[in-house]
Amino acid sequence: MRELLEPLRGVVVWLMDVTAVPVLAYFVLINTSYLVLILLGALDFRSYLRGRKTVVDTLGGELTPGVSVIVPAHNEEAGIVTSVKALLSLRYPGHEVVVVDDGSTDATFARLREAFDLVELPRDVPQDIPVRARVLGQYVPRDGRTRLIVVRKENSGRSEASNVGVNAATEPLVAMIDADSILEPDALLRVAKPFADDPTRVIATGGTIRPVNGCRVVAGRIVSVGMPRPWMPRIQVVEYLRAFLVGRTGWSRFGGLILISGAFGLYRRDTFVEAGGLDPDSIGEDFELVLRMHKLMREAKADYRVEFVPEPVSWTEVPSTFKVLRNQRRRWHRGLWETLWQYRGMLFRPRYGKVGLVALPYYWLFELVAPLLELYGIVIVPIALVLDAINVPFALLFLALAYGYAIFVTLAAMTLEEWAFHRHSRWRDLGVGLVCSVLENFGFRQLTVWWRLEGWWASLRGKKQVWGVMTRTGFNEEAS
Amino acid sequence: MTGAPVTLLAATLVFAACLALAVVLVLTKVGRETRRRRRAALVAPLRPHLIAVSAGEDEGPARSTLVAAEGPSRRAVTGAIADLLGKVRGLPAEHLVEVLDRHGALESAMADLRHSSPVRRAQAAQLLGVSRVPDAVDSLVVALQDKAGEVRSSAAYALGLIGDPRAAAPLLAAVGAPGAGLPAGLAADALLGMGVGISGALGDALSDPDPRTRTVAAHVCGIGSFTRALPCLRERLALDPDLTVRETCAQALGSIGRADDVEVLARHTEASQPLPLRRVCAEALGQLGEDAAVSTLAALLRGPDPRLAEIAATSLVRLGPCGRAALDAASDERPVQSALTVASLQGVLR
Amino acid sequence: MEVSTPEGTRVLVADDDADIRELVEFKLSQAGYAVQAVPDGLAAWEAFEANPPQLAVLDVMMPGLSGFDVLRKIRESDHPRVPVLMLSAKSRDSDVDTGFAIGADDYVIKPFSPRELLHRVNTMLSRARA
Repeated sequence: MRELLEPLRGVVVWLMDVTAVPVLAYFVLINTSYLVLILLGALDFRSYLRGRKTVVDTLGGELTPGVSVIVPAHNEEAGIVTSVKALLSLRYPGHEVVVVDDGSTDATFARLREAFDLVELPRDVPQDIPVRARVLGQYVPRDGRTRLIVVRKENSGRSEASNVGVNAATEPLVAMIDADSILEPDALLRVAKPFADDPTRVIATGGTIRPVNGCRVVAGRIVSVGMPRPWMPRIQVVEYLRAFLVGRTGWSRFGGLILISGAFGLYRRDTFVEAGGLDPDSIGEDFELVLRMHKLMREAKADYRVEFVPEPVSWTEVPSTFKVLRNQRRRWHRGLWETLWQYRGMLFRPRYGKVGLVALPYYWLFELVAPLLELYGIVIVPIALVLDAINVPFALLFLALAYGYAIFVTLAAMTLEEWAFHRHSRWRDLGVGLVCSVLENFGFRQLTVWWRLEGWWASLRGKKQVWGVMTRTGFNEEAS
Repeated sequence: MTGAPVTLLAATLVFAACLALAVVLVLTKVGRETRRRRRAALVAPLRPHLIAVSAGEDEGPARSTLVAAEGPSRRAVTGAIADLLGKVRGLPAEHLVEVLDRHGALESAMADLRHSSPVRRAQAAQLLGVSRVPDAVDSLVVALQDKAGEVRSSAAYALGLIGDPRAAAPLLAAVGAPGAGLPAGLAADALLGMGVGISGALGDALSDPDPRTRTVAAHVCGIGSFTRALPCLRERLALDPDLTVRETCAQALGSIGRADDVEVLARHTEASQPLPLRRVCAEALGQLGEDAAVSTLAALLRGPDPRLAEIAATSLVRLGPCGRAALDAASDERPVQSALTVASLQGVLR
Repeated sequence: MEVSTPEGTRVLVADDDADIRELVEFKLSQAGYAVQAVPDGLAAWEAFEANPPQLAVLDVMMPGLSGFDVLRKIRESDHPRVPVLMLSAKSRDSDVDTGFAIGADDYVIKPFSPRELLHRVNTMLSRARA
């Protein structure tokens, strides 16, 4: 037995000699970069807090542009009417809702027609963004007052449905949202504020998304914020805080935000159209669009801004089963890889400013490659330990720098949230969050590493992406 | 490989840092709760009096009690009154300001505009604004150039409440200051509170080098009916390098323009212009309400862009009988039919 | 002619802002109304259902259910004719339009005059009784 393992041991010793220090350095770097983003985010939160202490409420004031909320819907008969009613009742000085029925085979359209008493218009959709699928008709409510447009089209996928929606939209801003998200009543006001603050430069803003699992929802509104019971969504609550809330706030503060989630983004309609809309063939279509907009603006030498709004505005159901979570993470990573590859020409090019010189290299190094190196670490370190190729202190050091430091970063994000927004008012939620920040590193993190690599691998082998169905358990409408 | 003591030290450090942060997290929550309770406890005994004064149900005794507050409760009362002044108006508001004045809070707010903490500076500006202290205008104008954004915003908000037109020019300049500048929407709100005396400043601002300032000026001209700026608006619509500014000027001309603006707007519906601007101008022609616009709009009905054609049709509906005649002549066009359907649903057509 | 006496007339006040809530409660109680004040939309709706008041004063922006949501529910309830006065921080025309469109009887914008609010409440109630 010992003789058999000896050659393997030789390989492992050699591997550790060559890679141990670089791998450790990588983990220190990646966690430190998160920490830097968090500190940048903290600066942004500080001005937010100061703003709140000084109570100048400018939401919805002059210069707030009109918004068209685009809702692509495919077989959503169960929730579509509730969603549309909730969107219509958002507080905003002048918004319309554009529902695009993307060739539903269920009663989606029938439900809408009945609920809003729709009438067909003899209207053609402008081809501002070229669209392949045929539009079947446009409908508006008979009362002539409710600002709803329903467009029916042949099925051609979510991205193209959104593009049709933008074509049919009439307001200067377009909002891309998930139909089944729950929005705060003043979500649009908050996310549109950067446009009113800086009307000539802001081209896009992203809103914060938080998991709705565990919150109490009544009539499409969040009544109280809570932690979900199962551990998987619980961990995602903490994960969202770190990655989306604080991470993106940091990027926004730095001036290099390149990712606006498709679940809540607001764009200038003219820039959206000029960029060519969402790419129907892209898997990371939200990421791809924002990069394309950056490219367009930089090449035109335009003075422009892409901003992130850290206040919670949109609450969405996160996966609570392994199957759905796996699909989601595979898709995310595949979209990340394909988009980064597509825009590799922007890397290190000074003409693309912070995007080309900092943000994109960062995404390559720390978002794309991270799961690969992490997998290497979690495989090689235990093996090396068993084979006696490294000593216990080294394994401990690896654990401390890769995982302990990660916990520290998560805790920093949680502290910032508690400081600035404190949406979780219960002490128990805070306790659960603390436990999750540690627990995340045992199992959950390794699984996502594997899934992300699966997504990347699938793309490299040229496998066709299957979107997978997001099975929803429905909002917890009462109690808990 | 690495020595055991060093690695142990590193691991311990990371672990200790995590623990420390967890403690900070808990302390953040505890601290906020405690501060909130302490503030509430300070105000609590005086709260009935504050409510009575704010409700206008006070013959004097409640006010005297408030004036007599000392030390920390006096500071707490000042904060509470600043909040209340944003919520009530009329005689009760005047009584609240009187309490502030007797406390010397307004005087110290003037001094606080130069405090080292940006929060204090911003709160001071706010207090002077909600109390509508006219003497504060000069200092607030200086605060428009503060290095902290929230102080600039608070100063602008306060200047809007005080409403002195002398502040208009510096306010407009602050919008276009390098970097983040003063939020444009906030500036527009404030300018609209300053009355008719700002038309000169608006006219000048329309040729400011910064597009943000020009946008704010154009918007305020339209909303506030500053017709003296019409020549500048026309020029900006034609020549401005920024599309947003041009669109804002077109909208302003639509709301306050004269008969000769038909020609100006019509020129910008031509195919050589950017499509978004053409659409805005076609809408503005309808809003302007001059029959002279009919031929331009009628020509747009048969264009390749269904949106522009429908906007033109809707504008013709708004123009009344003359416009309707043009629509009848093009009734085979789908955009015309669509505009008429929408108009009848809205009850615009009898 | 005697204006109807407010004694014992029940008014529901919903506002998440404690200042406004206590102020309105105080002003209306001084005038003799029996006021029930609640801090959010859901509590307002529950209070309305449990014991419908003769008039409701609702803030627009509240956590959970908004004032507009509560107003819609009242208009769809068994007591759809209870007069409702909206009290809103924003003077946007669109908010006022929405309020009246879904059935508000009156609309007061903050900052407001408590005296004026009382007059409006008195008038609404005497009209409702007439």
